[in-house]
Amino acid sequence: MADDNYNREDDVVEEEEELDETGYKSVRDAVLFAIEVSDSMLQPRPSADPKKRSQESPATAALKCAYHLMQQRIISNPRDMIGVLLYGTKQSKFYDEDESSRGDLSYPNCYLFTDLDIPSAHEVLELRSLVEDEDEAKDILEPSEEPVSMANLLFCANQIFTSKAPNFVSRRLFIVTDNDNPHGNNKSLRSAATVRAKDLYDLGVIIELFPISQVDHEFDTSKFYDDIIYKASPMDPEAPAYLKPESKTTDAHDGISLLNGLLSSINSRSVPRRAQFSNMSLELGPNFKISVSGYILFKRQESARSCYVWLGGEKPQIAKGVTTQIAEDSARTIEKWEIKKAYKFGGDQVCFTPDEQKGLKDFGEPVIRIIGFKPLSALPFWANVKHPLFIYPSEEDYVGSTRVFSALYQKLLKDQKAALVWYIARKTAGPVLAVMMAGEEKVDENGVQKMPSGLWIIPLPFADDVRQNPEATLQVAPESLIDRMRTIVQQLQLPKGVYDPQKYPNPSLQWHYRILQALALDEDIPEKPDDKTLPKYRQIDKRAGDYVFEWSEELDKQYNQITANQAKMTTLAKRPAKGDAADKAAPPAKKIKAEAGSGNIQEEVQKHFAKGTLSKLTVASLRDYLASQGRATAGKKAELLERVEELLETKF
Amino acid sequence: MADKEATVYIVDVGKSMGQRRNGRDITDLEWAMKYIWDCITNTVATGRKMAMLGVIGLKTDGTDNELGDESHFSHISVLSEIKQFLMSDIRELGELIKPSNVDKGDAISALILAIQMIITHCKKLKWKRKIVLVTNGMGRMNSENLEDIVSKVKEDNIELIILGPDFDDAEYGTKEEDKDPRKAANEALLRTVSEQCDGVFGTLEQAVEEMATPRVKAVRPVASFKGFLQLGNPEEYDTAVRIPVERYPRTMVAKPPTASQFVLRSNTASGEEGQESATVVPESQPEDGSSLTNVRNLRTYQVNDESAPGGKIDIERDELAKGYEYGRTAVHISETDENITRLETTAALELVGFIQSERYERYMHLSNTHIIISSRANDKASLALSSFIHALFELESYAVARLVTKENKPPILVLLAPSIEPEYECLLEVQLPFAEDVRTYRFPPLDKVVTVSGKVVTQHRNLPNDDLLNAMDKYVDSMELKDTDEDGDLIDTPFPIEDSFSPVLHRVNAAIRSRAIHPSDPIPPPAKILTQFSQQPDQLLQNADRHLKNLMEVADVKKVPPKAKGRKRAREPEKPLSGLDVDALLHQEKRVRISPNNAIPEFKQTLAQAETIETTKDAVKQMRSIIEDQIRNSLGDANYDRVTEGLGVVREELISYEEPGHYNEFITELKEALLKEKLGGDRRELWWLVKRSKLGLIEQRESELSEVTEEEAKKFLSAQ
Repeated sequence: MADDNYNREDDVVEEEEELDETGYKSVRDAVLFAIEVSDSMLQPRPSADPKKRSQESPATAALKCAYHLMQQRIISNPRDMIGVLLYGTKQSKFYDEDESSRGDLSYPNCYLFTDLDIPSAHEVLELRSLVEDEDEAKDILEPSEEPVSMANLLFCANQIFTSKAPNFVSRRLFIVTDNDNPHGNNKSLRSAATVRAKDLYDLGVIIELFPISQVDHEFDTSKFYDDIIYKASPMDPEAPAYLKPESKTTDAHDGISLLNGLLSSINSRSVPRRAQFSNMSLELGPNFKISVSGYILFKRQESARSCYVWLGGEKPQIAKGVTTQIAEDSARTIEKWEIKKAYKFGGDQVCFTPDEQKGLKDFGEPVIRIIGFKPLSALPFWANVKHPLFIYPSEEDYVGSTRVFSALYQKLLKDQKAALVWYIARKTAGPVLAVMMAGEEKVDENGVQKMPSGLWIIPLPFADDVRQNPEATLQVAPESLIDRMRTIVQQLQLPKGVYDPQKYPNPSLQWHYRILQALALDEDIPEKPDDKTLPKYRQIDKRAGDYVFEWSEELDKQYNQITANQAKMTTLAKRPAKGDAADKAAPPAKKIKAEAGSGNIQEEVQKHFAKGTLSKLTVASLRDYLASQGRATAGKKAELLERVEELLETKF
Repeated sequence: MADKEATVYIVDVGKSMGQRRNGRDITDLEWAMKYIWDCITNTVATGRKMAMLGVIGLKTDGTDNELGDESHFSHISVLSEIKQFLMSDIRELGELIKPSNVDKGDAISALILAIQMIITHCKKLKWKRKIVLVTNGMGRMNSENLEDIVSKVKEDNIELIILGPDFDDAEYGTKEEDKDPRKAANEALLRTVSEQCDGVFGTLEQAVEEMATPRVKAVRPVASFKGFLQLGNPEEYDTAVRIPVERYPRTMVAKPPTASQFVLRSNTASGEEGQESATVVPESQPEDGSSLTNVRNLRTYQVNDESAPGGKIDIERDELAKGYEYGRTAVHISETDENITRLETTAALELVGFIQSERYERYMHLSNTHIIISSRANDKASLALSSFIHALFELESYAVARLVTKENKPPILVLLAPSIEPEYECLLEVQLPFAEDVRTYRFPPLDKVVTVSGKVVTQHRNLPNDDLLNAMDKYVDSMELKDTDEDGDLIDTPFPIEDSFSPVLHRVNAAIRSRAIHPSDPIPPPAKILTQFSQQPDQLLQNADRHLKNLMEVADVKKVPPKAKGRKRAREPEKPLSGLDVDALLHQEKRVRISPNNAIPEFKQTLAQAETIETTKDAVKQMRSIIEDQIRNSLGDANYDRVTEGLGVVREELISYEEPGHYNEFITELKEALLKEKLGGDRRELWWLVKRSKLGLIEQRESELSEVTEEEAKKFLSAQ
């Protein structure tokens, strides 16, 4: 267990940005699902849409969500834990105990289906079969006749967290239920539950409730749950006041929307909030500061790197790498304090003392200082170097921060202005000049927040970071050609004319884990990836096809005019090389080809292929052809030929 | 590849250069060297083998050059032939540059010598040739054969720069009063030469001043993708469009140089004297560099094996196969299947669809930016792309596209925006987030407060009232960064980019160069220009002063005194949403002893209810025995995380209840028990964990009531 902390340290070296301020705690998250099993939870809710014959019950929907989250976290948070605890079941299971064990059960009617841990492939499979396989499900998902004691459930969860996820910064219990009043008026059971809930709170476990309304009854949190759920998270004292939509009741009466509603509300809480920095000064003017915390809301998710696996044991095991640093001259192991930093310069090292070294990056205390304002339009599209940072007020250091922040936010939003800020993230980070802009809150169709309202810090490039544009030829298109292209563009708007990242999972990341899953579970390797980023070719053809022809005809017309003019103007001079590609671009108009100057290399290659004389082509034309097909162009001629052949064979 | 460069510096080291003039506190030579060293170290910093330079000393005591036999080439010495300059050369040159005892030596002859050196070195090959002459213009200059010099300089395309202290420069605005007539004549002569050579003639003051503006390294554009912008699938549909395009970076963060790791050589480190052992000595070693050796990383691999001592065994790298983690399952991938998890793709920039630019949130920009231009020298492609760019512009739209830069590279989604300038059209491109790249952290709205019962409130202490909104409005407007053109008219300018320089990059570079030339001098402070945007402009502040004062008054922001943070004694106990008094219920429960399986909550609750110091003391005692049991019963490191958590909680709680002494006593005794192996054997790893988790003594900085100083706390952790 303790080992996991080493990995953290590695991460810090690689990704200096992901610094935490948690001190002794390990920056990981553990989520335990507690899903109630009862007759009403198992009652399928038919879909209103007769075409979709789904028999989703609240319980299966919850299990599907847990399964979904488990898969998702393997990709996004490979070090985080997840578990599934069913309660209200006839059967009981807790570590070594089950019905057959002697003596009393510690936690009757609690069934620990997936132990709290980093999920293994086997557990993913088990959960999936519980979701999909009816028979097994029937056995386990059988409600008990006795009502379960909530105090018992909460203490069961307490024990699981205490033993399996000690010292985690974030531990969360997700309760999914449709029973808003499990103990009615039974005072002693109620107070036992509240005490156990307080224990969880003091342990640092956050209870998140996913209430489901019954068909004829709205879920009412005030009946019971308001007594066991606490306002601010204990680990995050500056967390803003309780967000009401967190417990937004999923009250869809048909199964599909129930599932979707639950999914979107669980998704929105899939990761615990981690601050990049807390209580930093936002300086609005000299001697006028408020405090803010910063969060990274957009960050490229990379797939995990490969690792070394040891196959010598019973089952494959990941080998842990340990790095020791040695001196090159004597190969002796060295300690951290011995290491000196020096810069290479003119074939030698230029040395600084550690203090000098640190001082080089020291431009003062961390701060976000507003230098002045400009219209948001003064931020060019291209002026960007990395992902933005989201900031939100905190009252910890300055009381009143939130209202000042809100006033600034409203002003910037109203007038479409942005601030220029001098931003030092950490004492050792070096200053950055950035633009601070306001972003409005966005909610999805279920009313769940998709994007919070707050201010964004967008680092500007320095003069050193700006590259000069290469020289280029410019032929400005005439109106007639632009008009035709405009029609095409108008035909192909994305829904609502917006980009919604949620609609585009990263195809290579998904494929990578899809294959790993198949390998781990010994399943068939899927044939085709589900790539949502591929353009919808058929639709493009249907909607814009005719307009493309018109544009293409006009392009040829305009281009011929240009070449004619050029020919006239340069009768004497030798045609520059640039004409070559363009000349080829006018194939005999057998079929209208919407190609803009890519030449007829395809036809030539196909001709040779048909005749079996591919090898007569030059390396250059083979490369051209491969490049035009988006293929790699490196290698010797034999390799190129092989690649071209392979390509043509699959095509025809 | 950058061009090959050959530069010859001619430095006047005459006796008169050793004087301080016109109220300056450094000699003319030192002043001149400021400029020369800057040029030289700039070249050295590139590390380029083909960026070469040579140095000629003018008015040296002796004569050392190949034409030296002739009388007017006397008192000129070649201090360094044209070559790649290294640290050793810098040191050598540093020794040689000092004022001589003569004022004889002809600058024009030195120029001829420099030309000669360049001709010999570069022959007729492609080089960037340059001569820099810095002289005070004293002494005799021979004005014969000037035409020959001019024609040679022009013929070989040599860039000529002539500078001097107090040279008159009307454009820059320097004019030396009571100028020595000979200097005036020489200045006129040099000016003529440089003008005829299309060179630069200027005053040293300007050159030194311009050094303050960091030099931005120009990077030759390299295409990051050459392929097609596609609409539709050309394999299946003849309605598909393909435009040949190229992609180049528009922004790319310039990183400061990184320091490498070194350690003292063993013989020095162990204190042994002399005796260079048989270790390989890298070529040139500086005075202090010679004692350093490189640090290498050595990686070893371990797997768990319960039967082995310590539960782990070492495995050789050769015995390991490649694989990935799927959850906690290791998935082995054989070498033949190596690419099995890689998504097969073909290179292309494919249009996915279009969006309205005003509905795009600028903060979704995820990366640096690129530009897309049509394939160069292809008029048809240029025409086609231009129609696309203009169509986007006219429709106020952006395009979303899928980009694969090379076969089998992962696809990325990018946003394409039109950019139309009078002589340049291109698409601007930036990466967009995928679903996995978005972290859905949620925050309450900022313009309203939603209460626990679901009521929407618009007046709240966390919401600005109209006065505050008004004051903010005025302040923001008064702090508008306005730019004016030469006529004083307001103009629209973007946020500063062109004249803002990376502070760390240039600071580090300047420090390295300064240290290279003057190893024993302290590092100079950062150049002013690097921090020009670190404060609000004075002018702006003056205008906004009144509005700022008003804003501060209305805002009524109060700093929280550091003591009030985290102090628990006086705090209200936390309550659930309903406000139910759980503590009352807990009282009824009468938990007397802290049970080991619910230790943390019960410890906290006991402290919260403690009425006497004795209760607190007793609770700590109980926790202590629970934690010690956990250590004693820990199989290897099995319980270490629980122990750290327990210690962390006790420490935090005792800080907030202002009883640091109890913890300090506890941790001191625990340390001893651990290191003396009194808690179930070797527990050094746990102690190491305690150290790393910063669970040592509570010091005064953390709690005023602690008697432990920062040094004591440090010492406590470092001592074994």
